[in-house]
Amino acid sequence: MSRYLYDGTAEGLLSAAARIIAEASDPEKAILVERENTLFEDGVFIGTDAVAAETLFNRLRQEAPDAAHTFYYFILAEKEGMETSLLHYLSMALRYGNRVNGNLADSAVRDVVTVSRKAQRELHRMKGLVRFEKLRDGAYLARMEPDHNILQPLAGHFSRRLRAEDWFIYDVRRRTAARWHSGTLQLGTIEQFTAPALSEEEMRIQALWQAFFKTIAIPDRKNPRLQKSNMPMKYWKYLTEKQGE
Amino acid sequence: MEILDKLQILSGAARYDASCASSGSRREGSSSGIGNTSQGGICHSWADDGRCISLLKILLSNDCIYDCAYCVNRATNPIPRASFSAREVVELTMEFYRRNYIEGLFLSSAVMQSPDQTMERMVGVAELLRTEERFGGYIHLKIIPGSSSALVRKAGLYADRISVNIELPSSESLKRLAPQKQKQAILEPMSLIGRQIRESFLERKTSRRAPRFAPAGQSTQMIIGASPESDFQILKLSQGLYRKMNLKRVYYSAFVPVNEDNRLPVLASPPLLREHRLYQADWLMRFYGFSAEEILSDDAPSLDETFDPKTSWALRHPEFFPVEINRADYAVLLRVPGIGVTSARRIVAARRFSVITPEGLKKIGVVMKRAKYFITCSGRPFEKIDRQPAMLKSTLLLGDGGDTAVNPPPKQLVLPGIFT
Repeated sequence: MSRYLYDGTAEGLLSAAARIIAEASDPEKAILVERENTLFEDGVFIGTDAVAAETLFNRLRQEAPDAAHTFYYFILAEKEGMETSLLHYLSMALRYGNRVNGNLADSAVRDVVTVSRKAQRELHRMKGLVRFEKLRDGAYLARMEPDHNILQPLAGHFSRRLRAEDWFIYDVRRRTAARWHSGTLQLGTIEQFTAPALSEEEMRIQALWQAFFKTIAIPDRKNPRLQKSNMPMKYWKYLTEKQGE
Repeated sequence: MEILDKLQILSGAARYDASCASSGSRREGSSSGIGNTSQGGICHSWADDGRCISLLKILLSNDCIYDCAYCVNRATNPIPRASFSAREVVELTMEFYRRNYIEGLFLSSAVMQSPDQTMERMVGVAELLRTEERFGGYIHLKIIPGSSSALVRKAGLYADRISVNIELPSSESLKRLAPQKQKQAILEPMSLIGRQIRESFLERKTSRRAPRFAPAGQSTQMIIGASPESDFQILKLSQGLYRKMNLKRVYYSAFVPVNEDNRLPVLASPPLLREHRLYQADWLMRFYGFSAEEILSDDAPSLDETFDPKTSWALRHPEFFPVEINRADYAVLLRVPGIGVTSARRIVAARRFSVITPEGLKKIGVVMKRAKYFITCSGRPFEKIDRQPAMLKSTLLLGDGGDTAVNPPPKQLVLPGIFT
């Protein structure tokens, strides 16, 4: 069985997959792991090749758009140690096209699809759970700590929704931020974050929302377990309606 | 009155409305305006009762001239009354929307002076949002029975979804508990809305510029357990609404006793299990190809409390089983307890690659503890199972195959003499 190594970046992963799929005799049996730089590491190292990576991704987008979508969210999931499954998945995607996602009896497909789906689910959840606060200068700021690296697609969602406002979304865990300002979206990292001052009306609006949140529940039907299973407590930290609980 | 006090009164009064869906509409945001809608809908929070919060659900006013027995806002109830101005609703909607608290607005109202006067003010709010604020988010407007068709048409042009509440499952109950509401006043706008939705759909096929009419469709709601109708009657009514009026959703709302009234039954607690079973049966009709007559009959008009309606059906139809996973059609797979829409689709997709093994079936997401009694995999049954219905019933009950949420069902205590 052939064993390959790559540098640990997403681009390097795609480069390695491209080479292996093109050259290995049976890519669906090959093994791909991140290089650890130990002296006696066994395997062939494949370096990053931006052109090869892009070519593979474009081919995927044309021949199996569903698989390209799955792959994108798989990368955002930042799951380590699954490169071999991904390699097999990509190879099968080029063979079967979009149908590949139906092959759930195959363990590589199942692993990749499951991880990717988790990232997609959290993205969907955060589209609802992100809370913006109005700052003194009129812009809006949201903070979050998602499990998956979903900032980019999340910012895309809000760039279509809150087009006329200026806003930031800050991923506290990864220290990355998205900024929407006069119609353009920028992504970057933030080294030092100091919470800016809120606008004067902000606390009044938050109090209104908190009041609404309390009264909309039917008292005879209280169900904290259902509430927590739909909205896990790890998200409560930045929820306006859950402050002070 | 402060806007905070109004919000508390008017959201408290709106919480018995079950619908909170924000799905079914795709509205692109405009470049200068704010907001769009998402086809699949988005939940923004979950309230203390576990229900999703997607829309700012409020009444424009709770100051009602009607006196419906079951309603918290009825005229003879000594409760604080409040009314929003249109501007106040618009401000709340916009401020909440910009902070991503909500997908949009759900606006209902008590009948203030007349149906038309109330409906006009509600439509006015939607008009302000769409034209002045250029709001592209979701709007659900409740139609007040008895309002003019011109206002219904206008409502449909501004809203994503409109709904007329059927309130009670029969016209006799309506007469008894909501004497000021007429069956015709409810059904007429429903069929008008159905026709308008179809027309606008056809027009938009030929011209993209044709106006959209309630693109997320219409829904309705009825109260369960305040009147004596059987589950069978209720399901037949829903089936008729889906088939003839083209409704998107029928909501069932377990009766919560908020008033003392000798026309109403006395309940120990809201009939939540019954509501849950009705939703399951409703799902079977909408997504699983079941008819009301397959689920219940005149001889057995109530949904089983112990088993979900699909398992009940399976137990009554031993001749249908076992189903062979590697050959059965999608429609047949859907009838197996433990196999839902998602796993049936996955089974059909996975079969194209290879024969499905019992192991693979588990991984696809089939609920094996229920399904195993009803299927074979390449001709082999899963366990040596006695398929006699009586045996199967007790195995499902004693074993791990029953409904996971079998709490002691809330019993309905009916005072003798009320429903005779």
